[in-house]
Amino acid sequence: MKSILKYIIKNGLKDKLYLGLFIAIFISFGVSIFLGSTMLVEQNQSSLVFVLATVRTILSFGIILFVCINITRSFENKEIEFILSKAISRENFILGYLLGFFISALLILLPFTLLTCIIFKVNYLGMLIWFTTTTIEILIVISFALLCSLMLKNSFSAIFSAFGFYILSRLMGMFVMAINISDPVNINSTRDSLGFSLKILSVIFPRLDLYSQSSWGVYGLSDNSFLQIIFIQSIIYLPLMIFMAFHDFKKKQF
Amino acid sequence: MFFYIYSHKIFFWLFIFVFTLQILFWLHTESFRHNYDIVPPAPSKQFINGASFGDKEFLFRVMATNLQNFGDIFAGFKSYKDYDYRRLYDWMITLDSLNNNSRLIPSVASYLFSQTQKKEDIYLVLKYLDEHSSSDIDKNWWWLFQGVFIAKKDLNDLDTALYFANKLAQNNATEAPLWTKQMPAFISEKKGDNCMAFKIIKNLIDESESGKRQISAEEMNFMRHFINERLNKLKKQKFDANKC
Repeated sequence: MKSILKYIIKNGLKDKLYLGLFIAIFISFGVSIFLGSTMLVEQNQSSLVFVLATVRTILSFGIILFVCINITRSFENKEIEFILSKAISRENFILGYLLGFFISALLILLPFTLLTCIIFKVNYLGMLIWFTTTTIEILIVISFALLCSLMLKNSFSAIFSAFGFYILSRLMGMFVMAINISDPVNINSTRDSLGFSLKILSVIFPRLDLYSQSSWGVYGLSDNSFLQIIFIQSIIYLPLMIFMAFHDFKKKQF
Repeated sequence: MFFYIYSHKIFFWLFIFVFTLQILFWLHTESFRHNYDIVPPAPSKQFINGASFGDKEFLFRVMATNLQNFGDIFAGFKSYKDYDYRRLYDWMITLDSLNNNSRLIPSVASYLFSQTQKKEDIYLVLKYLDEHSSSDIDKNWWWLFQGVFIAKKDLNDLDTALYFANKLAQNNATEAPLWTKQMPAFISEKKGDNCMAFKIIKNLIDESESGKRQISAEEMNFMRHFINERLNKLKKQKFDANKC
């Protein structure tokens, strides 16, 4: 597994993932500080919020692209078959890839979080919770992107599926609020059937809208009950994705 | 055969024809102008829940940036008298629903939007400051003071100033200075209601002497000076404090 980890991290260097994301995040830092400095008051807080939100979004989308393109290329170049020909189980293969992608994301997120804490006046406990929930969010996104890439051979399908998953999961709070079924037994009207579909969606998709709130870096955490929900969600959802990936990958014939 | 021989000329003249159509189209549509709202309508609750993508603080900061920069029409700035203050009020209330703790929106309201040349619009700013402060007077006493200041200075409306001053005096914030309690007296005195002014200051002095309130020696001297100086003026007007 160690060799898979090194392989993924070196792939990141080869694909200029780190350089590309560093530049994108660095630019977003500059733009956020500029925008925040134009505010009448609370320049520090505004810049901090812009930085946290843009870093999270750039990193999530960037890592989805890296995972999907990397896996698809590995399939096309028969690298996966080569790795599996060695004495490595399919489960270890998936876990190795998952951990490798996660460490690649962490190599970018950690320095920027520390830089944010140095440059801005932050609530340290809030920043710690933001960092923890962002890493969990990225891990969930990576696991889904990995699953999509293993199931769908086409990189575009995998990328758009993963993007769609991320956006829907971030919108899940709004969907849950919009669900309003008048009679759950007799579903007659279009409105009820749409509400029922949203309810089904809310079962399948995680509540990523609760993760990684920019307000934590400014005001700290006012309501601890969110943390419980986030951690229980993560403990359930990550193994769900991983076990699905195990099940699908085991059936594949090379 | 004809087509192959003359195709380059046919396409050339087709190009000229379509180009002429483009010029005629431009002549017809050149006067159409985009209807630019200085202050667009405030977003609905559903839009906010969707557009936030779970991060309401980020949406709040983005929208607050827009609010502060309304009127920047790239070729200059619009005067506040051209703003639709009803919509501005809606925006401020909507943004408060996203983040009620931030000082950003009441600051923009008090220091920027209150500077309009249309006096009737200032009442909407005061209405917002009143609603924002009412959620927690102890935390938002400064904005109540801004309400007093704006009502007195910009509108010369002492009744509204007194309304805000009375609310300001209800605060129990430890960092709030004593003048927040004295403000109704100052405004009443300006209104010519000397009884009220005298009563408020006297109450504060009595509270201090009974040990109910800690007042510094300097503040006490000021209040005694306030009463003595006003009393000398009032004596000429034959004011009787016992009749208050």
